[in-house]
Amino acid sequence: MKAHWSLPLLGAAVMALFGIGLFWGPAHLEWSEEWAALQGRGGETAGTIMWQLRLPRLVTATLSGAALGLAGLLMQTFFRNPLAGPGVLGVSSGATLGVALVALGGASIGSVSGTVEMGPQVVGALIGGGAVMALLGLVMGRFRSRTALLIFGLMVGYLAGALVTVLQAGAEAGALQAFVHWGMGSFAHAGWASCTIMLCALTPAIFWSWKASNSLDMWTMGALTAKTMGVDERALSWSALGTAGILAALVTAWCGPVAFLGLATPHLVRAAGVRGRHSTMLWPVVLTGATVALLADLVVRLAGVPLNAVLSLVGAPVVLMLIVGRGRILSKLRAQ
Amino acid sequence: MKAGLDCSSLTLCHPTEGVGALSFSLPPGSAMVVVGRNGTGKSTLLKTLAGLLPPKAGSVNLGGASVAAMRPRQRARKLAFVSSTPPRGTALTVRDVMELALEAGGHPVEASRVEQAMQSGGVQRWAQMPLDTLSDGMAQRVMLARAAAQSDTLILLDEPTAFLDVVGRQEVMADVGQWREAGKTVVLATHDLDAVHESGWADRWMVMRPPSEGGVLLPEEAFTSGAAKALLMGKD
Repeated sequence: MKAHWSLPLLGAAVMALFGIGLFWGPAHLEWSEEWAALQGRGGETAGTIMWQLRLPRLVTATLSGAALGLAGLLMQTFFRNPLAGPGVLGVSSGATLGVALVALGGASIGSVSGTVEMGPQVVGALIGGGAVMALLGLVMGRFRSRTALLIFGLMVGYLAGALVTVLQAGAEAGALQAFVHWGMGSFAHAGWASCTIMLCALTPAIFWSWKASNSLDMWTMGALTAKTMGVDERALSWSALGTAGILAALVTAWCGPVAFLGLATPHLVRAAGVRGRHSTMLWPVVLTGATVALLADLVVRLAGVPLNAVLSLVGAPVVLMLIVGRGRILSKLRAQ
Repeated sequence: MKAGLDCSSLTLCHPTEGVGALSFSLPPGSAMVVVGRNGTGKSTLLKTLAGLLPPKAGSVNLGGASVAAMRPRQRARKLAFVSSTPPRGTALTVRDVMELALEAGGHPVEASRVEQAMQSGGVQRWAQMPLDTLSDGMAQRVMLARAAAQSDTLILLDEPTAFLDVVGRQEVMADVGQWREAGKTVVLATHDLDAVHESGWADRWMVMRPPSEGGVLLPEEAFTSGAAKALLMGKD
């Protein structure tokens, strides 16, 4: 699939899934009621369902999917490693630890079904994710290779995981249940304020990614070649890691540690035949991330299973099939 | 008037500090061959000339401007660098690489210019192929074509023929000769003395030896690959 064909198709998929999610739900509202509520008319209940529950949830899914897809693409480009994702920096782990400190340390994690715009877990996640990013900024200059940075992210993940386990071991049953529930991921907890913050982060991230696409392309040829082609290594490292880190921290703050999306979205795009220049992949990745997130959220609402279970159970085999299928096709092409 | 390369009292940084201060000038349209055993500082010298490593002392000037003081983008318009290992793990096609090279060199990225650059470098038959699907030798040919497309001034080559077969090596040496005739300055670090000898374009030589074996030799007079080989074998 060529990039110029993929964009209208993916745009249509996002709109279709958004529309289905908007007009379908367990509340059994009539279409006329839903339409009237969207226009600001109709009953108060319908208005609340449409404007306070469904729309923010769908916008959150769209923005989170796009943000994680972009963060995954940036990390795979920066580390020149197809297994890299937004989680490799340890930012999500830091955010999870921040939530664990808040939730298992006594504060209420909030209602699962309600919106928690700036609840304690959001503050905890932002502080935890921000602390890891600050630590990364302090030590990044000392790393001689990208591999060292990857190992740093892994170690932060292990440390945060160990501390979370310690907190879990001593937590009360209710707090532990709420924390485990948060860890399953959900797009239902965010509201309009968080959507606005995510949009404010995603827009400049896409703009920077577009502007830096030539530098990111040069970077894939190796640091030495890139530097002699005019790439400022320090500026690119800060911008790429900072962008991916902020996007991952924000999504984790409101949606929990969302699995799979960041790592797999660029692979889905490549498997569809869109590959090569960063600028070619950027919009397909952003739209595919949004599409997968909306689709997963629809399954969550239909089947009542946690988001991360849907993403991993359905998504991982799909990516595996695509990769195996692509390998077969490539083998056949090479044999001819 | 194109810029020449001018090094004044250049001392390389660790781990080749023992090389001593180097002073030499290369006018536009000249080529220097740097030879020496492994670990004597050839790559360090080339990276210092490229502004990738700071010199311990002295200066590297290109067209009168200090390379160390140039911003990365400004430097990319003046010089190109090819390392011994071709890149791996990139999804870029050969055409993408050539477009990026023209962009980096500050040249207009026009289809005709991209075609011309690929043709000059002998890589146009692989234009649509991702770099990762090419053999190491083919990918290195692309990187050489990339360097030629990027810089009209200085091209630094760090053992670029390591992955090439006999024909590929001859083609690279012929390319260097053409670049030199086109007015580009070329510095080539290599162990491939026979290919350099056959090409016959070397204007200057630099023989890098450890201080205990006589240090760096920068002969002003006529020099040959045979003499370089004798020096490296300790038969001077």
